[in-house]
Amino acid sequence: MIEAIKKLSRNTLFRLSLLGAFLFVLSLLIVAMSVYYATVTSELRRVDRLVESEHAEIQKIFDEKGFQAVEREVTIRTASSEGLYGLVNDRVAVGNLFFQTVTKEDGELPLLTGLEPEQFAKIPFLYSNPQSDEEDLQDRRARALVGPIRTENGVVAILVVGRDVEATMRTGAKVRNAVLTSSGIALILGLISSWFVSRIFTRRVEAFNKLADDVRSGNLDRRAPRNYSEDEMDMLAEHLNAMLDHIDRLMKAMRYAGDSVAHDLRTPLTRLRTRLESAAIDLGDSPEADTLFAAAEDASELLQTFDGVLRIARLEAGERRELLTDVDPKPMLDDLAELYEPACEDAGLSFTSDVASGVMVLADRGLLSQAVSNLIENAIKYTPKGGKIHLKLTKNKSGRPEISISDDGPGIPEGDRERVKERFVRLDKSRTLPGSGLGLALVDAVADLHRAEFAMETGLGETPESPGLKAKLVFPRRRSFKTKG
Amino acid sequence: MRILVVEDDEVAAEYVRKGLMEAGHVVDLAPDGDLGLEMARAADYDALILDRMLPKRDGLELLGDLREDGDATPVLILSALGEVDHRVEGLRAGGDDYLAKPYSFTELLARVEAIGRRSDPSAAVTKLKVGDLEMDLLARTVRRSGQKVLLQPREFRLLECLMRNAGRVVTRTMLLEKVWDYHFDPQTNVIDVHISRLRGKIDKDFDEPLLHTVRGAGYRLQV
Repeated sequence: MIEAIKKLSRNTLFRLSLLGAFLFVLSLLIVAMSVYYATVTSELRRVDRLVESEHAEIQKIFDEKGFQAVEREVTIRTASSEGLYGLVNDRVAVGNLFFQTVTKEDGELPLLTGLEPEQFAKIPFLYSNPQSDEEDLQDRRARALVGPIRTENGVVAILVVGRDVEATMRTGAKVRNAVLTSSGIALILGLISSWFVSRIFTRRVEAFNKLADDVRSGNLDRRAPRNYSEDEMDMLAEHLNAMLDHIDRLMKAMRYAGDSVAHDLRTPLTRLRTRLESAAIDLGDSPEADTLFAAAEDASELLQTFDGVLRIARLEAGERRELLTDVDPKPMLDDLAELYEPACEDAGLSFTSDVASGVMVLADRGLLSQAVSNLIENAIKYTPKGGKIHLKLTKNKSGRPEISISDDGPGIPEGDRERVKERFVRLDKSRTLPGSGLGLALVDAVADLHRAEFAMETGLGETPESPGLKAKLVFPRRRSFKTKG
Repeated sequence: MRILVVEDDEVAAEYVRKGLMEAGHVVDLAPDGDLGLEMARAADYDALILDRMLPKRDGLELLGDLREDGDATPVLILSALGEVDHRVEGLRAGGDDYLAKPYSFTELLARVEAIGRRSDPSAAVTKLKVGDLEMDLLARTVRRSGQKVLLQPREFRLLECLMRNAGRVVTRTMLLEKVWDYHFDPQTNVIDVHISRLRGKIDKDFDEPLLHTVRGAGYRLQV
């Protein structure tokens, strides 16, 4: 579950559509804020201005006509308008607020009779209207301006002028609730739709990924699935398929050209060799015949090099990856050991092997035995008389199957170990020995095909002049190989 | 043997014909697939040498048609497509052996003689005999002049292969394929080393050698 969420959170489309949903909710909130401002905030400001001006009017009446006129005015206004009034000093308490229970909104005790403000103060408060029958008129919210009525000598009375704002506040609350609910719904819908969108697209993108993997592993005949809706993904599939068709055609053309060249060049070369051979046979036992046999041998070598290049090219195209099967290398390596052991003995080399059983690799038996045989032949070729060669199959520390061939010959300097894997690269020391410079290139191509690592390191030698060489093929673990396809 | 060579390269075909005739065979040539099929159907050949890439009718197609007719003539397939999977393809299509170009003529001759002999009805032999060398395939024993010769299992198979082709050249590549099941050419003289060990066991104590080296070709077991 957590893994699924993590995976989902890495999905680009999911993140994008989720971002879209968030932006939508944000814009919803902005709209809501402006509506709230238009209905509630501006209404409250109007009320504030109203009560301020009313307070000022009453102060003016006091200035001009005295306190009694103010008392009268407040009584009249109480009766005739919907306002809330309270006028209070030691002697008088006029206005509708005194018939009612008044509480401050934050719950403090009523202070109206004990108010002695020197300054004007705006206070929001609650009041109940006992005259009202309707229940919802209890504890209504109001805003009022509390301020002194004053002469030059001081405060004469305290005047409270207020207005009922319950309706406005309720509208505000409704707006707020509506916005919160709809944002919530929008967010949930956004999440669900992001999930769906990402799922649908992920499936199609995964199809493309799988296609790319298949093609890379040599299945050039795979194509992207299409639904013919002609949407972007379908068009992408079409373009990919067209591209693959093109690559396929080119590959086929190249292969055909390669095969034709092989056919066309090998045939005359073969003929050349046949002529040389039959001429040599015709001549019987003579020095001329020896020369002709040697020439035929040269032609064979040429043909073999040509063959090797073609073979490596084919391997590199990865054409044969699907032919890999589960192989226990043990019998194959035992066979190779048995094949080469006498040759080693004749060359004055000691050949030993240590082949573990029960180590499975995904391999092509023929190619693998050819690669290992190339490595053994290299070891035989370069290790001087009296040396030793060791063939080993084991599971290495990280549990990967490893085939290695070690010798105590001159080895390969560290800086040259990558270079010698390239075609036709031969180190100066080996130029005098027979060989085409294709052996290690072939091993490298075979290793690539098996997704194995082909590495060289210092071998069994004990002196700095002949450190020896250990050439090893490290195969992927069987499990990880499978998941890679 | 009467051999049909289906090959579009005239010069190569002519050389093959000349070589086979010198080795004592009767040879017919067919330059394309259609004619090849027609000729193979018309006459009774002991062996067919078939190029894979042919004009008009592909070599494997020809082979398939022939096998559908119930014709079991041994077929050696020649091809420039020397890859192992192509070889398997060729053998699966009904070929008896597969030889990749470039091949040497001696290799071709050795192989065509080996498959041609296979059509003899004496396939289920239990004893092989060359001169005074005897091999019992059931008891897995070898005697020369009545004296028991001790062989390693691989040496036994090597000798068996040579004895089955007694009197004919067996090439190093054929030995590597038939005795070790490897389909590549080693750069070193591995086979020679094995042969010299075998020779040490069967020829060393006797005046007349049986195992001969044929220069430029391979080996021959012969009295």
